Amino acid sequence: MVGRLMKVNAYTTLDLVDCKTRTADGETTGLGVANATSAREDPDCVRFQFEADGQPEGVAAHVDELELAPEQARELAGALETHADRVDAAQGDDASD
Amino acid sequence: MPTDVEEWKDDIYGTDIRAHIERFAEEGWDSIPDEERDAWFERFKWYGLYHQRAGQESYFMMRIGTPNGVLEPGQLRVVGEVAREYATGPVDNPEFGDSWADFTTRQSIQLHWIKVEDVVDVWDELESAGLSTVQACGDSWRNIVGCPVAGKDDHEHVDALETVHEFQSEFKENDRYRNMPRKWKVAVTGCVEGCGQGEINDLAFDPATKDGVKGYNVRVGGGLARNEPRLARDIDVFVPHEKAATVADGMSALFEAYGNREDRYSARMKFLVDEWGTEKVRETLQDEFVDFELQSAGEGFRDSYSYNAGRENDGHDDHVGVHPQADGRNYVGLNVLVGRMGTEDVLELAALADEYGSGEVRLTQRQNVIVTDVLDEDLEDLLAEDLLVDYEPDPSPFMRGSIACTGTEFCSLSIVETKNRMVRYARHLRDNVELPDEVEDFHVHLSGCTASCAQPQIADVSLRGMKTRKDGEPVEAFDLGLGGGLGENPRFADWVGERIPADEVPGAIGNVVETYKREREGSETFRDFVERHDEDALEDLVEPEETSYEDPMMHNTKRTWYPYAEDDDMAASPAPTDRNDVPLDQGDDAAPADD
Repeated sequence: MVGRLMKVNAYTTLDLVDCKTRTADGETTGLGVANATSAREDPDCVRFQFEADGQPEGVAAHVDELELAPEQARELAGALETHADRVDAAQGDDASD
Repeated sequence: MPTDVEEWKDDIYGTDIRAHIERFAEEGWDSIPDEERDAWFERFKWYGLYHQRAGQESYFMMRIGTPNGVLEPGQLRVVGEVAREYATGPVDNPEFGDSWADFTTRQSIQLHWIKVEDVVDVWDELESAGLSTVQACGDSWRNIVGCPVAGKDDHEHVDALETVHEFQSEFKENDRYRNMPRKWKVAVTGCVEGCGQGEINDLAFDPATKDGVKGYNVRVGGGLARNEPRLARDIDVFVPHEKAATVADGMSALFEAYGNREDRYSARMKFLVDEWGTEKVRETLQDEFVDFELQSAGEGFRDSYSYNAGRENDGHDDHVGVHPQADGRNYVGLNVLVGRMGTEDVLELAALADEYGSGEVRLTQRQNVIVTDVLDEDLEDLLAEDLLVDYEPDPSPFMRGSIACTGTEFCSLSIVETKNRMVRYARHLRDNVELPDEVEDFHVHLSGCTASCAQPQIADVSLRGMKTRKDGEPVEAFDLGLGGGLGENPRFADWVGERIPADEVPGAIGNVVETYKREREGSETFRDFVERHDEDALEDLVEPEETSYEDPMMHNTKRTWYPYAEDDDMAASPAPTDRNDVPLDQGDDAAPADD
C-alpha cells in the first residue's frame, strides 16, 4: 500500500465518503476523501479532488482532480443540491420518525 | 504574484509588530478590526502567538522558544508562574487540570488560553528571566533544535551548544531574517548519536571531521508536513566548527532569495531542493551566498546514530533515565507523557532542579525533560522524590515512547483528539501489552492530521488522524504506519492500516506486538522485524480489535468548541471573551462588557 496521497486535515471538505471504483473488470466499494479547493492566491479554477483509500488490483494509487471553471463548479454544486433534495425527500418518506 | 500573506508581511512584519500588539493588549480583543483579523493573526505568529481554533476566539497559544531546549536556572520557575496566572481558560482539561505547559517536538514550550490583554505582562515576566517568544512561529528561523545535552554530553564530537548560541544571536535576536518565504527549521547536532534529528529539518548541521578539523556536514531540505515527507539531503559541504554561522547565513539567504513566495504550499526548502537537486543548491550557495571555498563533506558519525533509531546498539534512543555527563555529574531524563506537565508539577520540578542540580533543565524532541548537573551523591534522593512517580526516569516503553501533537483540543488543522487519547493508549498498552523483556524502546507517535507535528513518520507505530464509519456513525480513526525511524538508515513509515477506529488502535498495536514476539528472529528489534516484511505482509500484521480499552472521544471532536466541555456544542462556546474569560457581548443592543 502506497498510503494516502492527499493531505487530509480539518479543512478537507469530506474526510469520509463512500465510493465505488469501477474498471472494465469490475467494481470495488470502499471509503475515500473528497476536497473542493482553489489556489490560495490568484485562483484560476476550482479544484475538486478525490482519492479512494485503496485501489483494485492493477490500479495504481492516485488522486483524481477536476479543474472546474466557476460556472462548471456552480453547475456541479447545483446538480449536487438537486440530488441531495431528492435523496432527502426519498429518505423522508421511509423515515420512521 | 505574491501571496496575500506576503503583502501583509510587506506592510508590517518583524519587530514592528510589537508596538501594535502592545496597543491591542491595552485596548482589548475588540480593538482588533474584524476585517483585519487574518492579517494580524499572521503577524502575531512572528511573536510566538497563534490564535486558537473556531469556538476559542480571542484565545492564543503562546510558544516560548528555548534554543536547544535549554532552560537556564530560574527560567522553568518563571514559565510555571506565567502558566499558573495566565494559561488558564474557561474550562478544564479532565486529565491535566486548569493549566499546564506543553514541551514540544522542537524543544520549546507552548502555553494555551492566553489573552491578548495579558500579553505585555506575560512578556515582561518572561523577558525578565531571559525568555522570549520572538520568531517562535511565523516565516522565520524557528526554535533551533539539537541534542538536548549539548555541551554536557560525554559523546560529543563538537560543542554544538556554542554553535546554537551563535546562531541564536546572529539570526534570531534581530530582524535579519524577519521575512523568509516560509518557516525555517534548523538543527545542530554535536553528539555522535544523532539526537538533533537533522534529517527532518530544513537545514541540518551534523558532526564531522575533515583533515583533522572538527566541524559539521551540512544537509538541507528535510521536513514532514502535508503528506510530503523528505529527509534532509547531503549537499557535500563540510564547515569547520567556528565557521558554521557563515554557511547557516548563506543557506538562509539562499532560501530567502529563492524560496517560493507565490504559493505557500510549495514554499518549504524541501520543494526547492526537489526542484533544483543538491548540486545546484551547492553551486548557488557557493556562487552567490558565501565568500570562501566550500569544502566537500567530511567523515561523519551516522553509523553510530542511535537516537529514535529503533536498533540494537549501545547508544540512546532517547534521553530518559540517569546518564553521566562529561564533567562527572549526571543528567536525569524524565518521561513527560505527551509532553504536558501541569503547572504545579512544573513549579515542583523547577524546585527539584534547584535543589539537586544547578537549576537548569533541558527539553527534548521527544517531549521529555531533563534535570542536568546532578552529583552522584544526590541521585538517590532525587530519584526518591514523589514527582518522579509521575515523571519516571524508568518508565514502561509505551509510556516513554509516546508523542502526541496538540490535536482538536486547540488546533484548527487536526481531525481528532490527540494528547488525552495518547495518554489513555499509553496506559492501556503499559497495562495490557507485554514487550520482550529486554526491549526498552517502543515509539508511538500520534498526529491529528497530515501536518505531522508529532513526527508520525519516524516511529515504530505511526498514527495519523482520520475518520471512519463504525456502527453506521462517523467516528475518529487513525491511519497506521509501521517501521519508521532515524539512525544510520533513516526511513519513513509504511502506511499499512487505514481508518482504524480509535477504540481499536490499542488492539491493533497489541496484535502486532504479539506477532512480533512470536515471530522475531533472535533479539531483533521491532523496527528490524518490520523491515523484514514487505508491504503486503505488513498489511496482514495490522488487525484492529476492540479490547478493554474504551474511548470517550469517538465522536467528531473538531466540531466541538472544546472536546472536554460538558456542553461541547459549538453554540455553547463562551468565546470570544474578555480578559477574565467573560463572554463578550456580540449583539448590537447589548450592554458593554465589563473589563
